[in-house]
Amino acid sequence: MGIREVYKGRNIDEVLELLDKYRNDCRIIAGGTDLVVHLRHKRLNPKVLVDISDIEELHGIKKEGEFIEIKGATTFTEIVKSNLVNKQLIGLKEAAKSVGSPQIRNRGTIGGNICNGSPAADIVPPLLALDSTVLLKSKNKEREISLEELFLDKGKVNLKENELLYSVKFKKINKNQVLSFSKLGLRKALAISRLCISVFLELDKSKECKRVKIADGALGKHGVRERKVEEFLLGKRLNEETIEEGAIILQEEISHRLQGRLSLPFKKEAVKGVFKSAISKALENLH
Amino acid sequence: MKKIKLTVNKKEYMLEIKEDTRLIDLLRDVLGFTGVKEGCGEGECGACTVIMDGDIVNSCLVLAFQADGKEIITIEGVESEEEIHPIQQAFLDVGAVQCGFCTPGMILSAKALLDKNPSPTREEIRAAISGNLCRCTGYNKIVDAIERAALYLKRGK
Repeated sequence: MGIREVYKGRNIDEVLELLDKYRNDCRIIAGGTDLVVHLRHKRLNPKVLVDISDIEELHGIKKEGEFIEIKGATTFTEIVKSNLVNKQLIGLKEAAKSVGSPQIRNRGTIGGNICNGSPAADIVPPLLALDSTVLLKSKNKEREISLEELFLDKGKVNLKENELLYSVKFKKINKNQVLSFSKLGLRKALAISRLCISVFLELDKSKECKRVKIADGALGKHGVRERKVEEFLLGKRLNEETIEEGAIILQEEISHRLQGRLSLPFKKEAVKGVFKSAISKALENLH
Repeated sequence: MKKIKLTVNKKEYMLEIKEDTRLIDLLRDVLGFTGVKEGCGEGECGACTVIMDGDIVNSCLVLAFQADGKEIITIEGVESEEEIHPIQQAFLDVGAVQCGFCTPGMILSAKALLDKNPSPTREEIRAAISGNLCRCTGYNKIVDAIERAALYLKRGK
């Protein structure tokens, strides 16, 4: 490792100043659960590291008017423990709980999970299904964009060299709405998602889908919203038939997106079960 | 080089470290706490588990400079001068140790659990050690030992 300088950031301004000064020579480190492995394998060779894991302002989950804001260096353990991540937001809690191991969750952060741009990032599908935005700060500027716009390609995010992911925001969820999450991993703990799906659901009085948003992970270059499935389910009652038909549309979408991949036959079949499980978890938690 | 100050097993250290040193290397090679084991070096096995400010972490994934100002406990720090820790005693009594490589990490994960939750269910115990791999025991004896350790700790109070 050719690291020449390391800084333990004490506040945001100091971090933004360093990012502005060192630009591409610099990497942000929070939990380090991915970065330290990359450094060891020399997949990344930054000259400067800036640690943000102990900056208080970058931790925590709070209500901001009609929004919930999660700060960038909030750990998965903090998300799991938060009272604001309630029964309606069970999908966010379950996604955070499904990451790595207790040790990883104590260190790994929501900002890191997003900015790595991993296709299998577990926290991303629930945040996409919540229509989240991200607040990006740099020395003299800040901008807010949708989380969806942040993802450019596998491992590539729309983050400028001097920008820091400050927080993630989404609208508070009402009593008649729910967010669910379902994941297929190869084992119970420490499983990287083979695929995962998150569903945001609101039914009207006649039990028809008033609002439905579906996002998945490990089924594309990054987390993806499944708009064709959403459009199909909108205004329909969720019964065996419509769920089955939704699953088939999802399969078609994935066949198209993962064309030529060796994992396609497996994922095409598996996605059906995970989709149905995410929908039924949403329905279970809706009352 | 970078100057840091940290507490390991209740003793304070002022150290000058290389920028890319990992916490595990600092603990083992500089301070001599070789009870911290390196298995995979990628956060999969949990052999390098230590307690940092009350929470378990993989010391192979923390850079030493990040631990500036932190309080660390390794397996060497759980026993008192007179006797081993009740969790260690329970591991011995139940026969939860075979090759022993995972044991320091297991015991620290158990300690972090029991410090917060003195009467865990077997399921909670399994969840608490889910980041620690053991290739010998099949885990049942380890879960038994942690259950028994909870009793020892309660009796001791």
